[in-house]
Amino acid sequence: MQIRRKATAGTSQSSDLMVVVEPSDTLSIEIESTVKKQYEHLIRVRIQEPLARLGVTAARIRVNDRGALDYAIDARVEAALRRAAEE
Amino acid sequence: MTGAVPLLSDHDRLEARRLIESEGLRFETDADDIVGLYEGECLVATGSRAGYVLKMLAIAPSQQGGEALGELVTLLIQRGMDAGHETFFVYTRPDNVTTFERLNFRLLVTHSMAALLEIGPGIREYLDNHRALMRSGKNGAIVVNGNPFTLGHLHLAETAARRVEHLYLFVVREDRSVFPFDARFRLAREATAHLSGVTVLETSRYAVSAGTFPSYFLRRLDDAALAQMQLDVRLFGSVLAPPFSVRARFVGDEPYCATTAAYNRTMEEVLGEYGIEWTQIPRLAHGDAAISASRVREFLGRGDLDRVASWVPPATMAYLRSPEGRNVIRRLAGAGEGR
Repeated sequence: MQIRRKATAGTSQSSDLMVVVEPSDTLSIEIESTVKKQYEHLIRVRIQEPLARLGVTAARIRVNDRGALDYAIDARVEAALRRAAEE
Repeated sequence: MTGAVPLLSDHDRLEARRLIESEGLRFETDADDIVGLYEGECLVATGSRAGYVLKMLAIAPSQQGGEALGELVTLLIQRGMDAGHETFFVYTRPDNVTTFERLNFRLLVTHSMAALLEIGPGIREYLDNHRALMRSGKNGAIVVNGNPFTLGHLHLAETAARRVEHLYLFVVREDRSVFPFDARFRLAREATAHLSGVTVLETSRYAVSAGTFPSYFLRRLDDAALAQMQLDVRLFGSVLAPPFSVRARFVGDEPYCATTAAYNRTMEEVLGEYGIEWTQIPRLAHGDAAISASRVREFLGRGDLDRVASWVPPATMAYLRSPEGRNVIRRLAGAGEGR
């Protein structure tokens, strides 16, 4: 999947996250989270799943998380990627 | 309670104003965007955005401590991103810091009267982008608007550069001055190109900006302005200076503008706390008048280009004679004084 433009998904609400995806030559993931100290590595793994599933190898992903559960992370990241790919 | 919505009609905005003022905040008219949250017919929370600054966030007592702030911030950021911004500032009371930190805002600086936080790539990206310019040693800094760059600025840079290992000349990024940022930056660079120990760089949002010190651009000197100066100077001391190993900040003395003079005094009082020496350098005079950019703008407004020629370096003069520069002069002649 090719990232063509900047797109966002999600909210700054508690138990949700806001995802910003934009075009880039490399793949980078930046995570801000209220539970960053404890769970950053797990959030990163969750973000990598939809990236792998959709075949995204180059994008800048920024995530602003307020303690979202796994399936919320997956859904928000996928939504942002699909918007950014202009599907 | 439904989600936050933009407030577009005069009626909605009047309601927002009432809520803002009932929470003890000042209503300001410069918002690019105002959003609100309703319960039934009743507006229970509102927030605004002016450029990249979130402001006038007011929540009715019945909704405080809940999700209202998250709703407002979500919509303001989404709409702010659509308007092309990436990083957002919020200026608030120190006792609200943890409330914003829970939304993943990053605290930039705080003191007794106010706190400044940001969300987005922000200062990290700024520092990453300037990594290659960072040098160790006993370095110095000057922050100038350079509207436009004068022989006074050049004198300040030359004098300061002799006293430190390396001098960083920060040019104010905020585009609120009659000379556009691109021109101010380029002229600062061209005028100092002959000085080997000087690097010109931009301040982004982190010094004398709409986020740190909006009163500068309004030439306003009240309690709010004094609080902003404190934040601006402390932000410089704690966030901007250390990565560039800045141990000294230089300013020109300020005979004309009370706001800038007060800003200089704040630096004198505060920078020592951060191990930064503050030095005021007498202005370069031409005849019996101290050279200043505001006087240069006055001359330009009157069409007195000959007078200007002895106050500015060749780079600035060449710009003033270019089509772009002539446009600026036309604006100065037509409109009133601006920063």
